[in-house]
Amino acid sequence: MKRRLSLLLALFLVLSLFLVACGDTEEPVESEGPTDSEEETSSNPAIAREGSEDTIIIGMTEAKGEFMPVYYSTVYDAYVNEYMFDALITNDEEGNYIPHVAESWEISEDNKTYTFHLRDDVTFWDGEPLTAHDVEFTYLAMADPNYDGRYFLYPQLMEGYEEYVEGDAEDMSGIQVIDDYTISFTFKEVEATNIDYLTMFIMPEHHYGFEKGDIETLKSKMLDPLGSGGYKYVGYEPAQYVELEANPDYFLGEPKIKNLILKFVTPDTMMAELETGAVDVLEGVTNTVENFEIMEGMGFIHLNSFPNNGYSYIGFNLRDPRLADKNVRQALAYGFDRQGFVDNFFKGHGSVAHVPLSPVSWAYTDELEEKMNKYEYNPDKANQLLDEAGWVMGDDGIREKDGMRLEFVYSTYPDVEWTEQLAPVLIDNWGKIGVGLEINYMDFNAMTDAVFEQQDFDMWNMAWALDIDPDAYDVFHSSQSVKSGNNAGGFDNPRNDELLIAGRKELDQEKRKDIYEEWALLINEELPYIFVYQRDQWNMVNDRIQGFEASPYQEISHPAVYLNWEIAQ
Amino acid sequence: MLRYIGRRLLQLIPVIILISILIFTIVKATPGDPVGSNLDPRATAEQRQAERARLGLDKPIPVQYWNWITRSVQGDFGDSYIYKRPVIEVIPDFIKNSMILNIFVYIFAFLVSIPIGIITAVRQYSKTDNFFSAFSIIGISMPTFFFGLLLIYFFGVKNQWFPISGMETVGKNIEGLAHVKDVLNHIALPGIVLIIANLASLVRYTRTSMLEVINQDYIRTARSKGLEEKVVIYKHAFRNALIPIITIVGFTIPSLFSGAVMLETVFNWPGIGRVLVDAVNLRDYNLLMALNMFFAILTLLGNLLADIGYALVDPRIRVD
Repeated sequence: MKRRLSLLLALFLVLSLFLVACGDTEEPVESEGPTDSEEETSSNPAIAREGSEDTIIIGMTEAKGEFMPVYYSTVYDAYVNEYMFDALITNDEEGNYIPHVAESWEISEDNKTYTFHLRDDVTFWDGEPLTAHDVEFTYLAMADPNYDGRYFLYPQLMEGYEEYVEGDAEDMSGIQVIDDYTISFTFKEVEATNIDYLTMFIMPEHHYGFEKGDIETLKSKMLDPLGSGGYKYVGYEPAQYVELEANPDYFLGEPKIKNLILKFVTPDTMMAELETGAVDVLEGVTNTVENFEIMEGMGFIHLNSFPNNGYSYIGFNLRDPRLADKNVRQALAYGFDRQGFVDNFFKGHGSVAHVPLSPVSWAYTDELEEKMNKYEYNPDKANQLLDEAGWVMGDDGIREKDGMRLEFVYSTYPDVEWTEQLAPVLIDNWGKIGVGLEINYMDFNAMTDAVFEQQDFDMWNMAWALDIDPDAYDVFHSSQSVKSGNNAGGFDNPRNDELLIAGRKELDQEKRKDIYEEWALLINEELPYIFVYQRDQWNMVNDRIQGFEASPYQEISHPAVYLNWEIAQ
Repeated sequence: MLRYIGRRLLQLIPVIILISILIFTIVKATPGDPVGSNLDPRATAEQRQAERARLGLDKPIPVQYWNWITRSVQGDFGDSYIYKRPVIEVIPDFIKNSMILNIFVYIFAFLVSIPIGIITAVRQYSKTDNFFSAFSIIGISMPTFFFGLLLIYFFGVKNQWFPISGMETVGKNIEGLAHVKDVLNHIALPGIVLIIANLASLVRYTRTSMLEVINQDYIRTARSKGLEEKVVIYKHAFRNALIPIITIVGFTIPSLFSGAVMLETVFNWPGIGRVLVDAVNLRDYNLLMALNMFFAILTLLGNLLADIGYALVDPRIRVD
């Protein structure tokens, strides 16, 4: 007995030592804040790193080695591909298409054919010129009968696709090489979004060439990329890093930074890596107050912050008679203190979203901003709406009507900070207006299955990424409310369908602005979703790097961004 | 002996088939599927159905199983949906990385823990014994991620003695001995965490097993014969105490190849543990099945090796 007691005591001692040690760790971080700046710059550890004078190391989430334009699928593989390859056209900071490999293009009278005139000074890394034949090859690869990547829609929208995929056709009638530096694409339908499908990175036929149908030969070159981009492929270690080096012959000029390494980091230690100078840049840091304070404490890091191109939302199952009532949805919006949640969670590094458009988009006009209902927190108004709709407060604080109770199962996923903090806020806020909530935590994949495949849910939350174009047919059109479709809530509104189609068919941007304004106001009124927030996206950048300015439409791998980087001497 | 091994190997076949059916059923029973990991998140319902059909996921589960097993016995484990490359090409790199860390850890852990276990048993309730008992309990109960983060803070950030993440210094392209040194440098912190975690349980096993033997009559007899204490302990007692330890060694073999998920995440070690978790989260069935079967077979082989080991150390156990 005595012996056991001493053992316990020993354990206690050891544990308390650890606890004391943990307590200690916090203090120095705090006291580092106000030290004078001279000392900080001289202690920038990234400068001392071997080889740092001509190398930038960017820490980001793991890329999976999908280093082939027609096959990549993750955001991080997209970065790697954009450093190594070029497309016919690219976009400027505002999201307008501008010349890139193509120096100009024109659209035919019937608005179906796009003809591109290519620059003749673009070469691949091996010195071979980039021609219209390479562009055709890239599009035919996505039209291959055995192609199993995600970009099949690119050629599918063009004429001659079926004949090529199902028949013996040697090429597609919708893709015409006019001469070595001129190519035209003909689409089946007139749509404003067609041009988005002309942005695939161009792959050299002489390197990737394969017999029609033999897609395995193409796929086997996944880790043997050959492109025309500003950075050349040096090597890749799975789950560790990708190494790139500047292409001296890049047609837009040689990048100033000779070596670029994309190191894969995890959230547990990424801040420590930045602090020790093991990485110069952290891409996509979660915009929490804690991360901001840690960064400030380091003293040699600055922030490249911009609104993330997407929004998060709470979706409703409109097939449920309780949620089919617009008054209930609006009451839920008035009864949820979104501003309070966003202020508390992001402390100024995110904003409340009201419509499914990014405020940086051309479609998000000042008039729209003025006209839309912001559903500012107003529990009285929420109660009033529910009273008027006939929902009577029950004895247990839950409203009732015709034997139905305003009590919902809310499907969400754990391990993501905002969803974990949102759930208790909703329970509290909605509890005050007589709405009960039961939280159902599921793993992300199981939840998407329940929501989008089975359509078995009351409410759920998730986020959508936005493209440059405001088109949202895939998400809100009633044709997508079938199982596996993205309109899982079953939003079905004839005017919504009309506007979404009109927005696609109209090519004049000014007229499209009006269409999307009307559409956004309709969504804002009907509330198939409660829009929660648009967050800021953060890149943390070591002060030794200048000119690091990514923006919503030009990410870290855009040539207009990376060609500006410089290392301060 | 060879006949015994042959017979045991034959017996493994039905066991492996049963295991594969069980794992396949469990994997398929989890809601969700991998269609989302390849398609654009905004893909339409028809596109999702087409992708599901292409992957053969629209067929009944027994048919899917039959397709999978007939492919697999021919060595074709399919493509990983996450990596877009054949599973057989994806796995080796990650397993190699896990093995580099694990071999280092286990050699060290066994070399140190067995002598400590013997000493603590021989000198039961001495100060050394108590010290190691306390040490073991802390080692067993301390969460690896917490201990890992502590080490990172003190030896990676505050005093920058060791690199805190990854397996090699990026951007240096060093070769040969310098590269080995670089990797060892990166092993240091995750290695310490793993060694302490393993050391603890190994010391406890050895100690308990030795204690049991030491209190046997024949040890007293050996002592009373006037044999030297060294001979008593190392020749008579230790050899008999080896059997449970061999069981542990057998069980350790599969974990040589598998990764410690928590630790790999904290130290960003490019091992197989994280890949397995990714495969589960994204429902990468081909990758998941290949890995699970690989670990299942390793476990079975580990058990077989342990059985053979018993026969080698203990003449009373006859295998034929």
